[in-house]
Amino acid sequence: MIRQLLLPDPALAPEERSRPLPALSLKVRSNGTRTAAGAAPLVAPILLPLLGLAAWIVGINQLHPSSIGTWGLLASANPWFLLAFPALVLGFLLELRRRARGWLLALDLIALIVAIHGSVPLIFGAPEYAWVYKHLGIISAFATYGHVTDPANIYQQWPALFAAVAALGSLAHVAPISLAAWAPLAFELADALLLFAIFRLVSGERRTAWLAILLYEGLVSWVGQDYLSPQAFAYLLSLAIVLITLRWLRRAPAVSGGRLARLRAPLVAGLPAPGQTTKAMRAVAVALLTVIYLAIVMAHQLTPYLVLTGIGALTILDLLRPRWLLALLSVAAFGYLVPHYHLIVDNFGGLFSGGTPIDNASGVHGTYHAGAEATTALVVRVLAGAMWLAAAASIAIRRKELGRVIIPAALAFSPFIVLFVQSYGGEAIYRVFLFSAPWCALLIAGALRHLRFPRRLPLRWPLTACVCLAALFAGLQGLYGPARVDAFTRSEVTASQWLYKNVPRGSLVLLPVDNFPALEAANYNDYDLQVMPSDPQLGAAWLDESNVAQVQSWIASLGHDTAYIVVSRSMAASAAYFGAPTGYKNLVSMIPTALGGSVVYHDADTTIYRLSVV
Amino acid sequence: MTGSRTQLTAYGGIISSVLAAVLLLAAPWHAASLIGAFLLACVPAGAAVMCWIDSGEAAAQAGLTLVISLAAVAIFSAVMIWIAAWEPRALLALALLAVGSCAYRLRRGGLR
Repeated sequence: MIRQLLLPDPALAPEERSRPLPALSLKVRSNGTRTAAGAAPLVAPILLPLLGLAAWIVGINQLHPSSIGTWGLLASANPWFLLAFPALVLGFLLELRRRARGWLLALDLIALIVAIHGSVPLIFGAPEYAWVYKHLGIISAFATYGHVTDPANIYQQWPALFAAVAALGSLAHVAPISLAAWAPLAFELADALLLFAIFRLVSGERRTAWLAILLYEGLVSWVGQDYLSPQAFAYLLSLAIVLITLRWLRRAPAVSGGRLARLRAPLVAGLPAPGQTTKAMRAVAVALLTVIYLAIVMAHQLTPYLVLTGIGALTILDLLRPRWLLALLSVAAFGYLVPHYHLIVDNFGGLFSGGTPIDNASGVHGTYHAGAEATTALVVRVLAGAMWLAAAASIAIRRKELGRVIIPAALAFSPFIVLFVQSYGGEAIYRVFLFSAPWCALLIAGALRHLRFPRRLPLRWPLTACVCLAALFAGLQGLYGPARVDAFTRSEVTASQWLYKNVPRGSLVLLPVDNFPALEAANYNDYDLQVMPSDPQLGAAWLDESNVAQVQSWIASLGHDTAYIVVSRSMAASAAYFGAPTGYKNLVSMIPTALGGSVVYHDADTTIYRLSVV
Repeated sequence: MTGSRTQLTAYGGIISSVLAAVLLLAAPWHAASLIGAFLLACVPAGAAVMCWIDSGEAAAQAGLTLVISLAAVAIFSAVMIWIAAWEPRALLALALLAVGSCAYRLRRGGLR
């Protein structure tokens, strides 16, 4: 298999292909038929993905939530599970290198995406991430009441995705929670379809497009922006905006004119000519783009501005018409923002949240960064840094004909503008990474395809395989590292549903750690849900959970006679992973004793106590 | 190829619209209804538009059909929430629209 990757690239120029081949090569008779010795390279690209898929199925069947340790799924996985990913990637690369049959590459890529994003839902059987359950609460509220029930809730004021899922769930008589676990898989498959179309359009090469998609799947797998959420939906829609822009609205930049045109000239040198289109088709494209943009504006707070950065960069480079498109989209974005601005102020401190770009890029503050969490964070930081450095190097390599890379380069680095404006609650950097990653993947894939090696060192494909596998495994550690924390078991979800069905409305519900599938009920707003102020990730953390007097005093200050306090497997996992809240274990042991809690619900993963407030 | 791509989109639009409506209105199992809802979200509105437009490439044609459908369903649903006129079955109007647009496209033929 490795030797096959060492063979010369059939996609190269004829003079490069004419170099002497190593011993293991395709033997083609003069009439073009293949001999038995040459059949192996053609069979391997089919067998490897099948073996990879089979290994994944065997591996996943041997995994269960309790077998996953603090270091995550990869560190706890069996050899079958670990072998599945290299087999799928190498099978893909072998096929890409030889015949690049579209159907086989597509099936291999689908299998890889299923393996990456289907593993956690299959092991845990419930949606991942606590905040997904907040989204499910909004969807349930819309499906139950049919109108905005909580105007102060920012999610309800950007309702497009939630309303759509509520409507489709109501039509199918299916609870949205039963779909949510599979949202990452669905979004990633849809993203891959759009990205392949865009990559083909921009690169003009099938092989580069396929390689870029493979790289992308590894690079973004960790970023966790594909769960059932407005940003995942808006991201998918934003890809269609890029596709429409590049397919129908791209124009050749003006070569003569003022100073700006002269400044632009070296940036667009070697730029391929745009495709043919008509005035009527451009008008239709603007209309379609505007409708899709409106859906983004109605779905998510930040994505419209990330789209504007890309459109703005292409407009400055004079690569698209009409030039007023940027103004039109800005009017739509700010027109929606103005009446809802108070919610942006409440949640993100206004349009300009302050802070330097470095501060805004530093992610969530206040974690203790202990053990496994610190290592996984380091892995993804190295991955992100390597991605941007490799993309910059890819641009530098093509510096004499920048026009060939100017579009992906502009789209890869324009999202950074957001960091000059917003931290977005510490999440801006993840969105910047997400919007930058496709174009970085395309730049890196282009460089890998066109790197020149000495005649005796046919290293292109081994290097490509190493880059793809390194990106994938780093991304998988980022995705699976916190799986024990981010994912919930079915019994935890059942406990949460029991709570909303059986605890009297208006009750105080306490979470010692903000990591439980709460707020998923339509009537979520009828409960006073409070998280103990003991986690530095959530801001001011003054409460010591192991201090009985402090805990009692804080509960009493909330003004209820009775409180329900929830402790669970996922809370314990979170406290151990992040190293905070430090007093969680002590709190769990003192609830039934020092705090006088009585058990009202108990299963393998969750216990709910009722406390009489002193 | 241009004509066949838009024609294929039109056939896909008609088949998925009819199938979605049948599954949503008549299927006795939730799983079948779910497939119907999935089809309704992903195909009809986009096919109604893309059966008239050739994007030049199969993946682009399929991707734009998907995204336009999702955007239409999202906008339609959000408007229902805003005006407090919650009637999810009204989304089936998108399937009706798609059948009309796609059938007209096939009857007219040859448009690029």
